[in-house]
Parts: sequence; structure tokens; C-alpha cells
Amino acid sequence: MTDAARTPLTEEGLEQLLAVARLPLTPERKAVARPALDLIYGLMDSLDDVEVGETPPATAFDPRWE
Amino acid sequence: MEPYELSITEAAARIGAKELSPVELTRSVLGRIEAVEGRLHAFAVVTADEALEAARRADKEIADGGHRGPLHGIPVGIKDLYDVVGTPTTSSSKVRADYLPTEDSAVVARLRDAGAVVVGKTHTHEFAYGVVTPTTRNPWDTGRIPGGSSGGSGAAVAAGECLVGMGSDTGGSIRIPASLCGTVGLKPTYGRVSRSGVTSLCWSLDHVGPLTRTVRDAAFVMNAISGFDARDQATVDVPVPDFAEGLDAGVAGATLGVPSNYFFDDLDPDVEAAVRRAVAVLESQGATLREVEVPHAEHLMALEFGLTVPEASAYHQGMLRAKGDLYTDDVRVFLEAGELMLATQYIKVLRVRTLVKEAWKSAFEGVDALVAPSLPAPAAQVGQESFTWPSGATDSVINAYVRLSCPANITGLPALSVPCGFSKDDLPIGLQVIGRPFDEATVLRVGQAYESATDWASRRPPL
Repeated sequence: MTDAARTPLTEEGLEQLLAVARLPLTPERKAVARPALDLIYGLMDSLDDVEVGETPPATAFDPRWE
Repeated sequence: MEPYELSITEAAARIGAKELSPVELTRSVLGRIEAVEGRLHAFAVVTADEALEAARRADKEIADGGHRGPLHGIPVGIKDLYDVVGTPTTSSSKVRADYLPTEDSAVVARLRDAGAVVVGKTHTHEFAYGVVTPTTRNPWDTGRIPGGSSGGSGAAVAAGECLVGMGSDTGGSIRIPASLCGTVGLKPTYGRVSRSGVTSLCWSLDHVGPLTRTVRDAAFVMNAISGFDARDQATVDVPVPDFAEGLDAGVAGATLGVPSNYFFDDLDPDVEAAVRRAVAVLESQGATLREVEVPHAEHLMALEFGLTVPEASAYHQGMLRAKGDLYTDDVRVFLEAGELMLATQYIKVLRVRTLVKEAWKSAFEGVDALVAPSLPAPAAQVGQESFTWPSGATDSVINAYVRLSCPANITGLPALSVPCGFSKDDLPIGLQVIGRPFDEATVLRVGQAYESATDWASRRPPL
């Protein structure tokens, strides 16, 4: 995992993410989405120091049909 | 005592002894709804005619010797997330105002098989994505929130508008309103109860379960609703015990873990005092207390939001683009932001979840259950945005309420909230009991031991 601190998301960066997500937002919606996204990214970055090694994700697929 | 004030246990005994009929009980509950609903707004819709029809059928069946069990003729409120055939299931959202299910959800079908009488759909925070339930008020103080997202069920059960309210719990949404409204609330083990026909918030964390007046009532409901269902791939095919059997066995010989960190950080002083007294009651009944360090405490909120946010956004992708303006702002903003998370972030969360599961297994060695506060504070005022703790730290209302609830969602462990006192403002406080996987029986037994030693279950809001 990177040691680099996260650079703040620019307006252009947000626009590009929204374009990738195909989620057009008005300027008013972008204004409230950005702090929410900063909050979420901050929470995700708080897991940077957790060493997961070979740990698999907590998901499983049961192929049985019944 | 009016029939609407009875617990399921009491009502079932009177119905079984033919001292009370399901129609009398249902009429009493509907009358109570008429008397208090204008102040509480717990229900999205009241299905009075259907309820009386079901009560009449129950009357006849019981008179004919076909008593189905303790839920026969018992009025239930169903969170407006659960499909109920022919009844609008709106998730308390304008986005779903026109959704009319064509069949019952699995839990509703099982409750009807047990003879329960559906009196209406209780309000949820929109799409279960919040802890306030803004439509609804707390019966103990109508200037305060009932909590959420199952706030309608919490308020309705506390006020006598139904004898059991069904809820769902993704980050505390059964236990938060249970604690704030002074009811019992059980989030079962992940996979114990089918979520088929219940609108999803987060597949990885969603649980469904009951809010009731007593622990025994919760056990009766669990008997009716538990069990494997192929339609919900998260359900696990494990035996379902009789949750009411052994309920009064007490806690002598049990080892109860008391967290040394996390759960007792930053609490309202009334909450800490009430919970510490409750733990002392359990110790006086013969439980051995052991200090337990909660592992990965600093990661739990990241896991909770790291699963809920992207999964909710994935579920709502179509509706968000088609009807975005119909969502309330506090829900819409996280649905939009969630679409911009990285897949690698989500998978990292899932990997850390595996580590948390293993660490909690180790923490539970030699421990039958953990006992802790359900929430760090009693009910917030309507419009309140944050709490300030004695340390000077502050938390948003949502973070405060989710903080102590989310560990049991992330680990999938069964967790019960049982009333354990009142604040100096006469607001309910909840004790949380967290058990081992699929060991709801122990969780209920601990809750029952505490409830039996106190009289909190007999207190009623001053409506």
C-alpha cells in the first residue's frame, strides 16, 4: 500500500470521476458530494496500515444449485 | 391493564385461556393507534380492515381448536422495507411510493403462518439509510427522535401500537431504536433469518429481527421467523433451537466479557452509570466478569461505511439516475459519493473484515457473551446534529449511534439490546449483549436474566 498522502480531489478530478461513473451531477450536487467523498476516502485510507498478507476477502460463492 | 399494553407472552396466555380474543386485542391496538399515532407518526400505513379480518380468522381457528402457538392473533407492525402483499412498501421514500408487492417477504409469510395479525407498515429512515427516522417521534419525549432506521417499529412497540415490530439492522437499525425507545431489540446472527423480500441496504451487513417489549417475546418471534431460506443466499442451514427453552436458566456459571476499550469510550455519564449497574446485577446473579479488549477497534467504522456505502450505491444506481430528486438529501449524497469509490478499497475492507472475524473469535475465548452499552447516549433532540462527550470530543449523531452498533454487524454476531434504565431526562438506556455465532439462545438467556431482576420492562411512556 502506498505511503503517499492523498492529494485533495480537485474540481476537475471530481468531474472525471463522475464521467467515469456516468453520473452527471449539478454544481449543487457536486458541492455536497465532494465533502462526503473526502469523508469516505479518509475512512478507507485509515486501513492503509492494516497488513492483510494473503488474507482473502470475506466473501464466498456457493456453486450448489439447491 | 388494556390489552394493547400486554406483552406477547401475557396476551398469548390470555388468548390460550380464552380470556381474550384476537379481535379484542386487535381492536385495542387499533384504538391505541388512533389515540397516539397523531403524535408519533410511527406508521406509513395502517391496515385496519385487513388486520380485523385476520384477527377474525384467528378467533375462529382458535375456537375450533387450531391454536398455532404464542403468536396466534398477535398484532405486529412490519417495517416498511419488508414486502407485504397488496400493501404499499415504500421504504419511507417517494422514490418507491408506487411499489405494491405481489407476495409477502419470507419473514411476513412465516409470521402469518404463526397466526400473527399485521396491523400496518412502520416507518423507516428512507431506504434504511440513517439512524433518525425523521417522520416519527419518540414516545418518551415527542421532541426527540426514536432512532433508526427501524424507528417506526421502535416507537410503535414502546407506545402499544403493536406487540412486536419487525426491523432490519445494517449498522444498528434494530438496536438503536430499541435502546432509544426502551424496547428489546434483537439483531440475530448474520444468516439466521431470511431477508428475502426485504429491500436491501447492504447485502454484506443487512440483518432482520424483532423489536418487542420483553426478551421472551423476542424468543417467540425468533422461533417463528428463523431458518434457512434458499432465496436468501446468506442464510445458513443450521439447526434452529427453541429460543424460549432454557430462557430462565440464569447466568450462574457464565463468563461475560466487559470491554476495556471502545464500548466505554466517550459515553453520556448516565449511560455509563446505568450499564455498569446492569453489569453488576448480572455479576450478582452469578456471572463471572472478564475484561476483554476489543480488537481492531480503530478500524470498525471504516469497515461499516466501506461496505454500506458502495453496496447501497450499487443497489440504487438505476433509481438514483431516474428519480434522484425524489431522494432526501442526507441519503442522496452518500448514494452519489458511493459511486466514486474504488473496487480495491471495497475489497480491502472485505479482507480486513476477515481479519476482524478471526480476532473476535480469539477475543471470545472463554467468554460466553460481551456486555456493553447499546448506544453512547439516549435519544437526541429532533434536529440535533451532534453529541459532545465529557472528554470534549464530539460525534455526529449518526457516528455516535453507529459506533457501538456496527461491531455486531461487521462480525455478524447476534446482539440484543435490553432496557437497563433511564437518563436524568427520563430517556431509556439500553444494555447490549453480543454473543457467539448462532448462539442467540445465550444472548437471550443473559437478557432474560437481567430483565427478570429489574422492572424496566414494565415502564411505559407517558403518552
